[in-house]
Amino acid sequence: MAKSGSIMVLGGGVAGVQAALDLADLGYYVYLVEKKASIGGVMAQLDKTFPTNDCSL
Amino acid sequence: MAKENAVEKEKEMTQEGFDPKILGFFCHWCCYAAADSAGVSRYQYPPNVRVIRVMCTGRIDARFVVEAFRCGADGVFTGG
Amino acid sequence: MEGLEGKPGQFTAKVFQEPRYINEDLCTACGMCTMYCPRPVVDTYNERLEITRAPHIDYAQAIPSSYYIDAKACLRVNFETCNLCAQTCTAGAIDFSQKPKRLELEVGAVVLTPGFGRVDAAVLEKYGYGKYPDVVTAFEFERLTCASGPTEGHIVRPSDNKTPKKIAFLQCIGSRDETCGNGYCSSVCCMYAIKEASVAKEHEPDLDVSIFFMDVRTMGKGFDEARRRAQEKYGINVIRARVPRVDQVDGRLALTWTSDDGNHHSGIFDMVVLSVGLESPEDAQILSEIADIELNHYNFCSTRVDAPLSTSRDGVFVAGAFQGPKDIPESVTQASGVAAIASELLAEARNSKTVSITYPEENKALEEQEPRIGIFVCHCGVNIAGVVDVKAVRDYAASLPGVVLYEDPLYSCSQDALKSIAEKIKKNNLNRVVIAACSPRTHEPLFQETLRSVGLNPALVEMANIRDQCAWVHAQEPDAATEKAKDLVRMAAAKARLLTPLEQPTVDVTPGALVLGGGAAGMSAALSIAEQGYNVVLVEKSSQLGGNLRRLTWTLDGENAKAVLKELISRVDAHPGIEVITDSTVESISGYVGNFTSTIATGKKTRLVNHGVTVIATGAREYKPKSYGYGESPRIVTQLELEEKLARGKSFLKNARNIVMIQCVGSRGDDMSHCSRLCCTQAVKNALKLKELKPDCNIYIFYRDMRTYGFYEDAYREARRKGIVFLRYSPDKRPEVVKQSRGIKVRAFDRLLGEDIEIPANLVVLSAGIAPGDNQELSKILKAPLTSDGFFLEAHAKLRPVEIAVDGVYLCGLAHGPKSLEESVAQAKAAAAKATIPLAKGKVAVAPIVSRVDQDACIGCGICESLCPFNAIRLSKVGKRKKAQTITASCKGCGICASHCPTLAISMGGFTDEAIMAQIHAFSGQECSEG
Repeated sequence: MAKSGSIMVLGGGVAGVQAALDLADLGYYVYLVEKKASIGGVMAQLDKTFPTNDCSL
Repeated sequence: MAKENAVEKEKEMTQEGFDPKILGFFCHWCCYAAADSAGVSRYQYPPNVRVIRVMCTGRIDARFVVEAFRCGADGVFTGG
Repeated sequence: MEGLEGKPGQFTAKVFQEPRYINEDLCTACGMCTMYCPRPVVDTYNERLEITRAPHIDYAQAIPSSYYIDAKACLRVNFETCNLCAQTCTAGAIDFSQKPKRLELEVGAVVLTPGFGRVDAAVLEKYGYGKYPDVVTAFEFERLTCASGPTEGHIVRPSDNKTPKKIAFLQCIGSRDETCGNGYCSSVCCMYAIKEASVAKEHEPDLDVSIFFMDVRTMGKGFDEARRRAQEKYGINVIRARVPRVDQVDGRLALTWTSDDGNHHSGIFDMVVLSVGLESPEDAQILSEIADIELNHYNFCSTRVDAPLSTSRDGVFVAGAFQGPKDIPESVTQASGVAAIASELLAEARNSKTVSITYPEENKALEEQEPRIGIFVCHCGVNIAGVVDVKAVRDYAASLPGVVLYEDPLYSCSQDALKSIAEKIKKNNLNRVVIAACSPRTHEPLFQETLRSVGLNPALVEMANIRDQCAWVHAQEPDAATEKAKDLVRMAAAKARLLTPLEQPTVDVTPGALVLGGGAAGMSAALSIAEQGYNVVLVEKSSQLGGNLRRLTWTLDGENAKAVLKELISRVDAHPGIEVITDSTVESISGYVGNFTSTIATGKKTRLVNHGVTVIATGAREYKPKSYGYGESPRIVTQLELEEKLARGKSFLKNARNIVMIQCVGSRGDDMSHCSRLCCTQAVKNALKLKELKPDCNIYIFYRDMRTYGFYEDAYREARRKGIVFLRYSPDKRPEVVKQSRGIKVRAFDRLLGEDIEIPANLVVLSAGIAPGDNQELSKILKAPLTSDGFFLEAHAKLRPVEIAVDGVYLCGLAHGPKSLEESVAQAKAAAAKATIPLAKGKVAVAPIVSRVDQDACIGCGICESLCPFNAIRLSKVGKRKKAQTITASCKGCGICASHCPTLAISMGGFTDEAIMAQIHAFSGQECSEG
């Protein structure tokens, strides 16, 4: 049986989102599975980020 | 612009209740995005700016600014 | 996830999906449901500091941008009563018939990115959390400083809503603390505390902020510099002490601590922020059972140094904080890296499951006709229509020249409205469309799709932002907002008349990569690209592969570095897709993403290599100490030299009684300004090795801050337990190495004694930092910028950590900055993922907003070439004269060239001079085009 061209990413925080984007760009179908109602994880809760203090959203 | 007009304008601008017409050139990546977030957060500001979106403030030719004033703008805002 | 069966390439994952009770396709995110819901719930997004309602959205920018109903709180779901929200929703999106779903997904690989968990509240109790309201966690403080948070960014004490005057941050809460089971360092709290302290000072300049550190661990790239700036700019007090507890005195908070000179101190603060660490995810245990993967002793995912992104189960990969506490740049890097690894596994199935969309052919004849504009003024429910008189704007639009259709859809972005817009474009033969609604930043692609679906060029739509930048921000002035909306629509229509179809240029990609540098990073990147099916030319300066890894015997985790090296080299040598060229350097690189041509010099011979992408993995070198008597005695060595000695056996330790190590040699302002990140762990590793080989020797380590981050903290604790003596020095009182006739002494200030001590040393080991390689030349060849420390600069520290400002060039390993073997490998995989994307696509798409040069008008002055920040416009000979030409693959459409061209020869796609001038004229509202 041939390998599947789909990939599941479990967790929609910044790592999961980035992995999903890159995998899609590389030519795979991605299922991004997240427990909460929206993706973004903890990073979406941050106001700014070290060290440049730019907005994290 | 005729000299009388300039004098007239100056008078108007020093008066109370002056309601200026401002033309804004907003960079797509930062200022325009910031103006959007201001809306999302429902910040209130005076309704005097009209916005032209550009991909970078580097796009703004000096002619655009001169033309804006010639066409009656009281101020030009560049945000980038 | 409820189950995972199968094998690599063919897994079946069982997933349980909870209902949202709100249809994502219909919800317009207007917020009416939240407004009418009688059921309050705590807002977890705002760290429970605020109240929301059962139907809500976590935050305004959330994706999916649709609301959902908290099933636990909802009256309708639990008691079949209420139903208010469904009645108020004008879009009819609320659907209580939704049921939980069980899905079975056929996937070739699984990537675990569950993130991190929170430290148990019981741990925080000892610091008064939960008992004293003004003790908050850093997560809560983050929301307090946020302008969109519950206090709109005003920092207030929860007890009385007053602005605090003195704030203390306590570090290492739930980290580096065996009593709570978390012996590791969380690696991010030092940074976020400094950030939050800085932001707090920006909000309240008079605030007195102290941060209590055990060690200041700002070891990331550029972090030490940022910490120094923050300390100077904001006057944050740095106190090195662990505060054991927090007490309340007269409504304020009392702290007592002991500094490392042995003195006791106390202080009263208005607010205490607990810098809580990162735990393993709450359901790590369950996840490990379902996915059948091993965890380490802290319940994080267990991985190996040479395969940091692979779990113990083949085909199941890991990235982010679940692999070990880490910050955003590292998580993002690992995420890209994991994409490469999954792609290596499934390369043969690439593009087998992806979905592509087909569009009808463009109706060029219609596009060339006189503008026939359709204007759609969106209500956006009440979002726009609640302030702006939409019907008046619509009727005003009718009066504008060229307008043949004017309408006011309720929600123009909803599926049915888009369908209706498409039909109306066709029916009325429209060839220009103006959408007066929200922001083009978020919605322009949607309407461009609609145009494409009916055979119109996507560049023929223009948006007027009458929501985000009008209705929402002028809610109290409906008349003025309506006037503004009319002006914006008039300006958009004026531009729309002058819009022209734009081609979507694409550039073919040469399907091969050039990797510069044959160390661990270069080899890992080359292997990954080759495994994904593309040819690689690997260029190494020296005569053999391996780089700095050749000098290591043990990795920081004590694994066999030689074995790692051997395996990498044999895999590279054996791979048919990789050509290794040693003793060679790159002389020049020309071209752009997709089409580079490089000249590789081997001795006096040169050859040309064509490649689509370039990876920089040129490494760095050990700093050569200039002080501490280095080079004057064989008994003063660097850590790497010590490691080489240790690898040869312990005979040189025969008479060693006292061994002294000195940290930060060359680093952190000694000679170079950056922190070299690894030397602390390296020193601890070698000290433990020395103790193992010669248990009776005394080892002293002089340090500034021990930066044994993450799980390396375990080794540091073990070293202390084994009696290795750690003595902190400050940069103004560095230890001195004194050579005497009969030996070497190290003289240093002992903080606890308050006086100088002298240690006779049989061996002095200098923890020499990591110095950048000779990057200047390559930087010039590639036009790749360097940091002030001499390492290559990434395009964006968080969003694009392995790319550089030049498209098609990627970065990994020590060339980017000091990092461990494990981190280098992960980053190399990330660079490989990014480099493979254009190779896999075969074409590079270029945004159509690029510049175009009118060759007849160009006088070849070269101003544009000198100003372009992206090297995207170049002079070349056309006939007898030089003319500027855009390299569309590199152009970002910024327009700097166009605004500086003295002959107006350059025009920007979608932003022509004529279009912007038309907008300016339309702005004035009257005829002013004369002159």
